[in-house]
Amino acid sequence: MEPTEHRSSAIGPSLDQNALDSLQFNEEIQHLMTLPPENANSFTALLELPAPQAVELLHHHHHRRSPESNGSTAKLVTAKADGHGLHHPHATPHHFNPGANLTFPSDISLIERAVRFSVFAGINNSDNNHNDNNNNNHKVSSKIDKNNNNNNCSPETTGSVPSNSSGNLGKVKNEPAESDSDNNNPNSPQPLDIKTENQNQKSAKRKEREKKGKAATKKSKSGANDSSEDAEKLPYVHVRARRGQATDSHSLAERARREKINARMKLLQELVPGCNKISGTALVLDEIINHVQSLQRQVEFLSMRLAAVNPRIDFNLDSLFVAESGSLIDSSFPGMVMPVMWPELQAHGNRQQYQQQWHHFDGHHQPLLGGAEESHNFVTPENSLLSYDSSANSGREELIPHQKEGGKNKKKLIILSDSR
Amino acid sequence: MRAPSSLKQEFLRKWILGLQICSSSAKSMSISERKKAIKLSADIAMASARNGRTSWSRALIASASKDDNHGKLFVQQILGSDCERLTKISTSIKRLRCKKILKKSSGTIIRRRMKRIPDKAVASSIAKQMVNKRTQILKSLVPGGVFMDEVSLIEETLDYILSLRAQIDVMRSLADATEMMMNC
Repeated sequence: MEPTEHRSSAIGPSLDQNALDSLQFNEEIQHLMTLPPENANSFTALLELPAPQAVELLHHHHHRRSPESNGSTAKLVTAKADGHGLHHPHATPHHFNPGANLTFPSDISLIERAVRFSVFAGINNSDNNHNDNNNNNHKVSSKIDKNNNNNNCSPETTGSVPSNSSGNLGKVKNEPAESDSDNNNPNSPQPLDIKTENQNQKSAKRKEREKKGKAATKKSKSGANDSSEDAEKLPYVHVRARRGQATDSHSLAERARREKINARMKLLQELVPGCNKISGTALVLDEIINHVQSLQRQVEFLSMRLAAVNPRIDFNLDSLFVAESGSLIDSSFPGMVMPVMWPELQAHGNRQQYQQQWHHFDGHHQPLLGGAEESHNFVTPENSLLSYDSSANSGREELIPHQKEGGKNKKKLIILSDSR
Repeated sequence: MRAPSSLKQEFLRKWILGLQICSSSAKSMSISERKKAIKLSADIAMASARNGRTSWSRALIASASKDDNHGKLFVQQILGSDCERLTKISTSIKRLRCKKILKKSSGTIIRRRMKRIPDKAVASSIAKQMVNKRTQILKSLVPGGVFMDEVSLIEETLDYILSLRAQIDVMRSLADATEMMMNC
């Protein structure tokens, strides 16, 4: 990685140390290869999560893993640290993350975003100062390859881009921070996990290192906050101190926690309608509380409605539906088609007829299959029930994109009129 | 994201099981009892549709199975074999106790500090108080919320809101359909 090399030399005096460190890293990695891999079972779930949640999960994993620290690696690290008289004893953090076996996202763009997103713990050789996002992409792919190949691989391995979900996303993210290793080996033991590092060292020391708050890190940090959809749950999140901010361990930990919470709050804000414009946690929480209360009240009202209707309804029909659902074929259609078709069914007001009509429509609309995932499944009468009503009434955007939330009756009338 | 339509289908399937119990004893109940039974069956069905992956669903099921009314019945019917696995809340109680102790201790510290902090920091502490108050309210709303820390509370709230929306949609469609049937 030339750019990094240039930078490291530019940074200057510690060039020798960088070389030393990288050698050291290689050794350590090999020593640490024996760490047992961790399961990254939740990555695919994470893939689906929007950006902010990824951060949280990153932190989650971070904290969860901490108790699992490997004592031997700690000793190794400290020994090396002392031996080399490094500035920062935990400069050798390049332990292989026990979680290194976690798989990576196959999508490089996601990884790159994750890298930008990442919060680093600088391994603090001077190199770390120039953690550059510029290099991240390069590093990321190489490191991903490396990590993917596994803890037991030599640092030089360059495997194909991992096709699995990335447990190690966090590691990948942290790798750019360890830029000193770039000198020798782009693929270097980056997986040196900051996680293990943390396990081994006191957080205070780590944070001292991170103190080199350059504008770059600040940028990377805020960049990191913007994106990254798939952070795997990693044991540690490395927080780099920004310029002019306190760097003691408490405030850093608190800040990391705060960011985690803020990211999740953003997600909630997107979910709750009308929250986007509000700023301030307390007000947003107010909105959320109101929303939850209104939803719960709606459930109450609906159950009251059903209770009123109930004695007259023979729910044996429902058992009929359950039986039917197995026999019908799954199909999905664009939601748009529904409102037009359903009024005909609804006009009959008879469930038996729904089923008949449904069969008819099902055959008729076979060619339209392959619609969006989010569209309804019209297979069963249950679905027809759901889809009809949601087209009529619900404001759920995912079900019917074009539907607006309007008065129920009004919608029904409109639909009925369209059909005739 | 879990496909919302599949969640709804899952919920409906389970709910129908519960409703069958309701309808079998429908004659004897008053409206409010029926309403409670319906609501309870819907809640349990939704919670079980989550398959124990979320904490609020487990808390809901656990509290329902302890309930005298028909909770236990519903839980057994709807959950089937998963019943035992999902009804364990013993660990949460311990956590609650620990959290209460922690809260008490942190409260006193804050009060002591307030005497010494400058004015500009008072505003932030007031803001914190507001946030804390609302967090408490949210905890009381989300089932099992009192046991959670802030971070997981927000996650659970997210999931809970999504589930509630799905539940409402299904219930509304069923209510509308049955009413239409009645009227025609």
